[in-house]
Amino acid sequence: MNFKDTILYLSKAVVFGLVMAAVFLFVNSITNNNSFNNGLTTTQHHNELSFASAVRRAAPAVVNIYSLSLDQNSPLNSSSLQGLGSGVIMSKEGYILTNYHVIKKADEIVIALQDGRKFTSEVVGSDQITDLAVLKIEIDGDNVPIVPINLNNPAQVGDVVLAIGNPYNLGQTITQGIISATGRNGLSSGYLDFLQTDAAINAGNSGGALIDTGGELIGINTAAFQIGAEGGGHGINFAIPIKLAHSIMGKLITNGRVIRGALGISGEPLSPVMAQILNLPDLKGVLVTGVDPNGPASKATLRPRDVIIQYEEESVPGVEMLMDRIAETTPGNQVNITIIREGKPLELPVVIGEKLPTDS
Amino acid sequence: MKPKLTLLSAAILSASLSLMPALSQAAIPQAVDGQALPSLAPMLERTTPAVVSVAVSGTQTSKQQIPDVFKYFFGPNAPQEQVQERPFRGLGSGVIIDAKEGYIVTNNHVINGADEIKIGLHDGREIDAKLIGADPESDIALLQIEAKNLTAIKQTNSDDIRVGDFAVAIGNPFGLGQTVTSGIVSALGRSGLGIEMLENFIQTDAAINSGNSGGALVNLNGELIGINTAIVAPSGGNVGIGFAIPANMVNNLINQIIEHGEVKRGVLGVTGRDLDNELAKAFGLETQHGGFISEVMPDSAADKAGIEAGDIIVSVNGKKIKNFQELRAKVATMGAGAKVEIGIIRDGDEETANVVLGESTSSSGSADDALHPMLEGAELSNSRKGIEITSIAQGSPAARNGLQEGDLIVGLNRSKVKNLNALKEELKNPQGAVALKVLRDNKLMYLVLR
Repeated sequence: MNFKDTILYLSKAVVFGLVMAAVFLFVNSITNNNSFNNGLTTTQHHNELSFASAVRRAAPAVVNIYSLSLDQNSPLNSSSLQGLGSGVIMSKEGYILTNYHVIKKADEIVIALQDGRKFTSEVVGSDQITDLAVLKIEIDGDNVPIVPINLNNPAQVGDVVLAIGNPYNLGQTITQGIISATGRNGLSSGYLDFLQTDAAINAGNSGGALIDTGGELIGINTAAFQIGAEGGGHGINFAIPIKLAHSIMGKLITNGRVIRGALGISGEPLSPVMAQILNLPDLKGVLVTGVDPNGPASKATLRPRDVIIQYEEESVPGVEMLMDRIAETTPGNQVNITIIREGKPLELPVVIGEKLPTDS
Repeated sequence: MKPKLTLLSAAILSASLSLMPALSQAAIPQAVDGQALPSLAPMLERTTPAVVSVAVSGTQTSKQQIPDVFKYFFGPNAPQEQVQERPFRGLGSGVIIDAKEGYIVTNNHVINGADEIKIGLHDGREIDAKLIGADPESDIALLQIEAKNLTAIKQTNSDDIRVGDFAVAIGNPFGLGQTVTSGIVSALGRSGLGIEMLENFIQTDAAINSGNSGGALVNLNGELIGINTAIVAPSGGNVGIGFAIPANMVNNLINQIIEHGEVKRGVLGVTGRDLDNELAKAFGLETQHGGFISEVMPDSAADKAGIEAGDIIVSVNGKKIKNFQELRAKVATMGAGAKVEIGIIRDGDEETANVVLGESTSSSGSADDALHPMLEGAELSNSRKGIEITSIAQGSPAARNGLQEGDLIVGLNRSKVKNLNALKEELKNPQGAVALKVLRDNKLMYLVLR
């Protein structure tokens, strides 16, 4: 083999190797682009980092909510609009999700779209426990801005989010932050289920949208953490996760209210000490601490110090799960509850009652 | 030979592959799940030297007027009017816009009334600045320093920014020293806040606090998009609602100040109101954003360009406008003689009118005259007894301040005003609250404008 052959032999190998490497990297980059193509990454259209496309997708569906109050001091027919908060158009039929506390004191509610259109609206239903309400406007179905949603994409701590609303009635405002904390996701009793964000939320943002960088709705902005009368501005704000809000919306549209089952007990998680005292094998179950004397549990002879270990043949790991299962049960239905009383398992049939809004 | 070749190729393939990550890491410093995590540091290294701190000092004078009764009792021996002088200091921020000439732009409210203005440069130098000119109505002032090795901010067309774009505020909050905060553009064309006479703000959630005034709002390329000016602060500090004057508006004003030493306000010569839902319905319009023209002054710039009453102005130089106030702020800051392309809707058709803006006869005149932000919504006219309020818009600042139709304004604070020009003169430099002396149903009362 002479020198020339050696060079040829080497360069063939080098060229082939490099071509294969290039092909591999090219294919790799395409698959990468597909899986990470959402919002924040640079898009083909603008070679620049911006949330503008996410804003364009969602912002038109976020409405301003006003209450119409007649002005007593002015001539006839004059009225003024008072800013209450924000809302999100969820469907072509004109259903709008907002907070219950936004609309609870209003007699006549006016919805203002970002394109200037104004509508009077009716309250379809509201739920105090989750602080949600559904309004409806009569709008031309072909020209409704609807917020995109993805129920199967729960928000995670660290996700970049945008809040859209009408703070201090200044007009539509977009603020940016991250998810700071999350509660549980997609449960129906409403307790402890929240998203926490540091995106600026102020009075008037309530009922507005929390979206991800793809423009999809992930929550309904609800409250800012306040110290005394100081107002917000601490970077600690809360939103209702879309999965919960969406399921409540469905119930409000069907029934006008959220029908929740109630058992009429108060309970707490089993502590290791109680488990030892009651001689239980593990920490699974809910310790009954109080029984409403007129409630379903009382009728079924449940009493304090019972430990609920099964609900409808399903084992009960903790308080949240039990609360959700009770809330989801249609009032009037009979369920079987397994308890441990004085060290022995016991099965009790209970007819579930209805939870009233005034209950805490 | 063949297997050997394959083997060697494979070796080179794996070698080049193992090299690739190292190379890409050099290009993108950090990444999570394949997404680049950008740092603002490289941009800020280039940009922050263009932002300066502005320290002012001066004396505030307040006259203590002697009541007329004193003069009556003491005659010529009455005590003289006392002038109280109180020294004050202030801190703000500024942006170098021309390194060669040493031009620095800041807010008027930062330097208002100052005898001495000191610029603190990023490299530690302290240099006295002189005031070239200011425009109180838009809250912009131009300073000049003599210094070498200055860094000017990069310019861009601020009309191109979109809601959702990243924005970075650079300034000197609370006098702490240069501070960089980041956020996004929350809204555009914000007006009607009653902070300035001419408003067309960029709204941002980047933290802006006292001392940030006059500082820069830049994009991710370090280009100036606005001058930070004001915040909504219910509890004193930042709540994520800050306002900046757009860079294009600033540049228009600065160019006029450099050329004339003052701002020559452009005038369109129209009066009008916001296009709202009802008007849009009445005119069968699809758009609901714009300014409705109710009157065109004869021989005005608008008249010469063929704009008529009933037209709806929807854009200025190809950029859509939201409402009449935004139109007013844009036109008034473009400068007399500026050529402007005005987009209008007439009888449902979109047309454009090329307007050469006229010059305002009075220094505070603009598209429609508002004497004081808190008098907005009131129409005033001279009458025999005083200045009569001929009409008042529902829910306007004037109405909220308690003014009513038919009120006669006869005085301001402690001086009498006879006509509109006198009132204008008195309101030119409003300091704090203004008390209007008003004659209503033959009763005199004071209304405090806040």
